[in-house]
Amino acid sequence: MSFDHPWRLLPALLLAAAVLWLLQRAQRRERADALTYSNIEFLTAALQPRAWIPRAMRAATVAGILLLAIAAAGPRMVLPVPVHDGYAFICIDTSGSMQSTDVLPNRGQAAKAAARAFIQQAATGTHVGIIAFSTAASIVQPLTTDHAQAIRALAGVPEPNGATAIGDALRLAAQSMPPTGHRAIVLITDGVNNTGTDPAAMAQWLGAHHIPVYTVGIGTNSGSLIPGTMQPATIDEGALRAYANESGGAYARADGAAQLERVLARLGRVVSLENKPLDVGLPVALFGGATIVLVLLALIGLGRFQ
Amino acid sequence: MTLREALLRGRRRPRAWGSGSPTTYRGDGYEFVELRSYVPGDDVRRIDWAATARAGALQTRIVLEDVALTLAAIVDDSGSMQVGRRRRLIDAAEDALALWLESALSDDRVIRVGPDVVVPRQGLRGRHAARVARAPLDVAFDLRSCLETAQAALPRGSALLAISDWHDAEGPRITRLLAELGRRFDCTALIARDPWYDDFPVRGFATFRGAQGGRLVAYVGARERARYLHAVREREARIVRALDEARWRVGVMHESDGAAALAGAFGIPHLGRERAG
Repeated sequence: MSFDHPWRLLPALLLAAAVLWLLQRAQRRERADALTYSNIEFLTAALQPRAWIPRAMRAATVAGILLLAIAAAGPRMVLPVPVHDGYAFICIDTSGSMQSTDVLPNRGQAAKAAARAFIQQAATGTHVGIIAFSTAASIVQPLTTDHAQAIRALAGVPEPNGATAIGDALRLAAQSMPPTGHRAIVLITDGVNNTGTDPAAMAQWLGAHHIPVYTVGIGTNSGSLIPGTMQPATIDEGALRAYANESGGAYARADGAAQLERVLARLGRVVSLENKPLDVGLPVALFGGATIVLVLLALIGLGRFQ
Repeated sequence: MTLREALLRGRRRPRAWGSGSPTTYRGDGYEFVELRSYVPGDDVRRIDWAATARAGALQTRIVLEDVALTLAAIVDDSGSMQVGRRRRLIDAAEDALALWLESALSDDRVIRVGPDVVVPRQGLRGRHAARVARAPLDVAFDLRSCLETAQAALPRGSALLAISDWHDAEGPRITRLLAELGRRFDCTALIARDPWYDDFPVRGFATFRGAQGGRLVAYVGARERARYLHAVREREARIVRALDEARWRVGVMHESDGAAALAGAFGIPHLGRERAG
């Protein structure tokens, strides 16, 4: 948290201290008017008073006053807010290995379901596009703010078949991105790049242009084969982690469909939110004021001023 | 009926014999009751010769026996007795103490018992005795110490009045002490009832100041109020039970009238005052 007018903290805190001092004084005066009881130990044992109530009231009063003092200093907090110029491409691997059924119903279907979760979680106004890639990469859905349309477009993602051109997919996404704005690429793949552009070089280029790549590795380490072939369905995790690191993104691994959906849903929020220092003076002041008003109402209700 | 008569009538211990203070029992004394015909066995010194001459037959004077009482008092004058709604509890205690001491006649001993002192007031009686015996003892009050002092210092058969709110008067040690006192003396206890016994005047947040120090800020809701009323009644019932079991007369003293509480302890609705002199 930072302050626009930190110097205002001092007088505000002094004012808060003065208010507390006045409250203490009022309590001392009240003490003089207190009901005299013959034996305070017996009274305490007999009443078994709920001591937390006055303590909570006192703490809430102090908190309310401090919040007002903080609000006067113009506090700013770095908070995640939806980006207005957010762009995100989901690159879905449709190579032959995505037919593998170690993730039910198969990796390709699980990837589509996860992409749907991503789109649903993306903030309103975020442009979302879909790229499918196997031996080559193609745009299934250009960038759009119509998330319902993007979800419908997932039906157009082709069935798994062919090689894995990760670098081509990244290049196509980069070419389709606007030159400025809050941009990101989400790469869902289960394999090793085996054709087309070098993805490592693309990741470096994307990182240099502030376009992070969030890579998601899908599949188990069961050693299963790609259906119809004798090739093992392996994941080059080291490479995927390297792409993410080079570009300023992050890597996640999903062994199952549910986990994949969770990862993509979280990425949906990550790519469509940005941390911004916000002026929180008004909400802090309102919260502080509301706390004091609530305490006063509670005290009136509990008979404090009778 | 006077307090003295009530004391003598209700005596539980053997009397200390003396002179000049008639009881309601017929015996060897000076207080004339009646003349009656002589019956064999009457003390010949009690034959009234003038009456015998008038009646032509032996007449015996019947007199009341003489007893000297030792009237001892323990009065709690601590901070907890300084509270009250319209009147302090200590004022009511002084009413009771005055009535107690006024019942002393010329040969009776009046004793004020403090925590570690016994103040004899022999020869004083009536309001003057009360005033002297009511003088502050300049010692912090402690009920148990007072009872222990009374146990050690009072002659057997003394009439002991203890007026206190009986806080801190629970536990096996004090129970044994009360029982021992009940066996040795003619004991009467007045329990100073808390001014807020029936009506706790606080709702919501309240600040309490202890009469003997301490402070409590508490929220008093219906639950707390009910707990308090139950606890205060339970405490009084426990004390009454303990005193009953120790064979003490027990009265509950309100701030409004200590003398009535003393009368109540003796089970009589109206106490008469002793004649001065």
